Amino acid sequence: MKAFNPADLHLTKYIFFTGKGGVGKTSTACATAVALADAGKKIMLISTDPASNLQDVFETELNNKGVAIETVANLVVANFDPEQAASEYKESVVGPYRGKLPDAVIENMEEQLSGSCTVEIAAFNEFSNFITDEQAAKDYDHIIFDTAPTGHTLRLLQLPSAWSSFISESTHGASCLGQLSGLEGNQVIYQQAVENLANEALTTLILVTRPELPPLKEAERAAKELAEIGVVNQWLVVNGVLTDYQDQLSIALFEKQQKALKHIPNQLKNLPIYQIPLRSYNVTGLTNVRALLTKDRAEDKNPGPPIEVPHLEGVIEDLANTNKQVIFTMGKGGVGKTTIAATIALGLAERGKKVHLTTTDPAAHLQYVIEDSDHIRLSHIDEQVELKKYQEAVLMKARQTMKGDDLAYIEEDLRSPCTQEIAVFRAFAEIVDQADDEVVVIDTAPTGHTLLLLDATESYHKEIERTQGDTPPSVSRLLPKLRDQAQTAVVIVTYPEATPVYEATRLSEDLKRAGITQKWWVINASLQATQTTHPILKAKAGSELEWMNRVAKLTDGHYAVVKWFADDLKGEQLKQLIYSS
Amino acid sequence: MSRMVIFEPAMCCDTGVCGPSVDQELLRLSTVLNNLRENGVLVERYNLTNNPQIFVDNRTIHSILNQEGVEALPVTMVDGEVVKKQAYPSNEEICQHLNLSTSYLQAKFNVIADDCGCNDGSCC
Repeated sequence: MKAFNPADLHLTKYIFFTGKGGVGKTSTACATAVALADAGKKIMLISTDPASNLQDVFETELNNKGVAIETVANLVVANFDPEQAASEYKESVVGPYRGKLPDAVIENMEEQLSGSCTVEIAAFNEFSNFITDEQAAKDYDHIIFDTAPTGHTLRLLQLPSAWSSFISESTHGASCLGQLSGLEGNQVIYQQAVENLANEALTTLILVTRPELPPLKEAERAAKELAEIGVVNQWLVVNGVLTDYQDQLSIALFEKQQKALKHIPNQLKNLPIYQIPLRSYNVTGLTNVRALLTKDRAEDKNPGPPIEVPHLEGVIEDLANTNKQVIFTMGKGGVGKTTIAATIALGLAERGKKVHLTTTDPAAHLQYVIEDSDHIRLSHIDEQVELKKYQEAVLMKARQTMKGDDLAYIEEDLRSPCTQEIAVFRAFAEIVDQADDEVVVIDTAPTGHTLLLLDATESYHKEIERTQGDTPPSVSRLLPKLRDQAQTAVVIVTYPEATPVYEATRLSEDLKRAGITQKWWVINASLQATQTTHPILKAKAGSELEWMNRVAKLTDGHYAVVKWFADDLKGEQLKQLIYSS
Repeated sequence: MSRMVIFEPAMCCDTGVCGPSVDQELLRLSTVLNNLRENGVLVERYNLTNNPQIFVDNRTIHSILNQEGVEALPVTMVDGEVVKKQAYPSNEEICQHLNLSTSYLQAKFNVIADDCGCNDGSCC
């Protein structure tokens, strides 16, 4: 594999980074942007992740229009947050009527424009503006998108074709999309956005992965789905490759990585493949961003002797003793939420609980980790399946009073992208509702998606009080249940590294704002306890301490540390994570 | 022909299927109005999100909103006269106000032309 040196490569106008959460998309996108800017190119870098951490990397306050980075000539960075875009859109619609219509009416409008539809539409609007803006195309040599975690990315990128076909197929007037003023007038822009995405002379999709099987599988899935909508110019960048080894731990890691790289999925094998070596430091601050693609700055931080840290056992014990009925594991994508959720499920089953382990993560790999047993039941919220179920349920009701063309009319509204959000939301509510007779452990989707899901919970809660339709009881019971500390526990999962800890902290604050409190944090995959002598891994272990201490302080000691394991633990093996650290 | 206008609260879509639950009333109304339109009768619908301006311009609805608030919606008017508030008109009421037979509420049979304009029939 060749080293990834963007300044030496032929790059297109638009560059998208994608990959499973936690593989280093942001770091790679930033390093690429800085390397190109340093080489004299004019660069615009845009983050579309609602849980973006670009402001941490550049140590600069950002907005969604673009801010020039003082320390890097030629670089402008925009942090485009779908939520913020939605609220700006909302204001553009409602603003002109303040004072002209009564306050209660304005509130009614605002409430309606707070739904998931508006977030999707506003996100899409902004996105297509960036990719079709002729002035930006002239002003910048490259426009780089540090895209959101994969599930969200796919939706965002698939929207152009999904929506332009929706608009042109629409045979009746206002619908879910038409209600937003001027949308049909933007059809030309949306068409252009689709064309630019599918134009290999203009767009490159860079799939970022780690040399591990789950993110490689995720990259394969993204590669396939995006190729289907015409994005065919794809590269693969493998981040965090260990290039040498000397002690037991580094040998195990090296072998694990090489094994994964031997099994690169077929879809990815024939793409141009580049690598970035494993670095000992966290990619925050400009010095480290510049170093990522060029050199390792292995300052020999001494990890010291293993410190006394709490085990996962304490967390499980507490969850069992307090009879929690709904347990979420949350955190940045790729920090091992699935593994921790499965381990907690195992631990609870061991203590005689009946457990239902489920996931909303579109990139679910639960079935690789654990199997059904007497005490543990597995399930997965599949967006496509839920959408079909919901459509069928609505149509069944509609069939009682309608036929033929009438039904076709309803079917058309059910094809709108917003319907999918509602379908998933209902499935989520139903599973949480089942917690009455078993403990539900939910391995949630990556952070950005989770936030949108929770926000949906919030706005639906308000809307339910207002609408006349028949709301399933599970839906109206959801939010009160999530807020009830006696029933619900949120376990935040993180790595002992800068970015995951920053994001976990932000997530924790967002949850508090939504009235959902959390007690426990789990620090996963700690090298600190492994006593490695390999210089890079040792330096990495040394830099963990700062983040462990920060978590200990943040949580008032309510945390647990789980040791890094070379093997992918499965089934009963997961019990090792409960006791060893 | 009389002109019927329905003023509605802010909502996501005409059929309400985008909301958290299915509103049978909205399903009924949307379908009936769609059928009427296909049969050549246009009933106008305005809601607060897709056309707020008309709630300012139309004096009648503007004063209803000021005096009674959002709760008054939906409001139905025929030739400028308010005929119903706080609920949608029933099928019978729609026919009565517009002086139509109930057959107008049924879906129109979709006539597909035999000749679509291509010679070998492969285009359709």
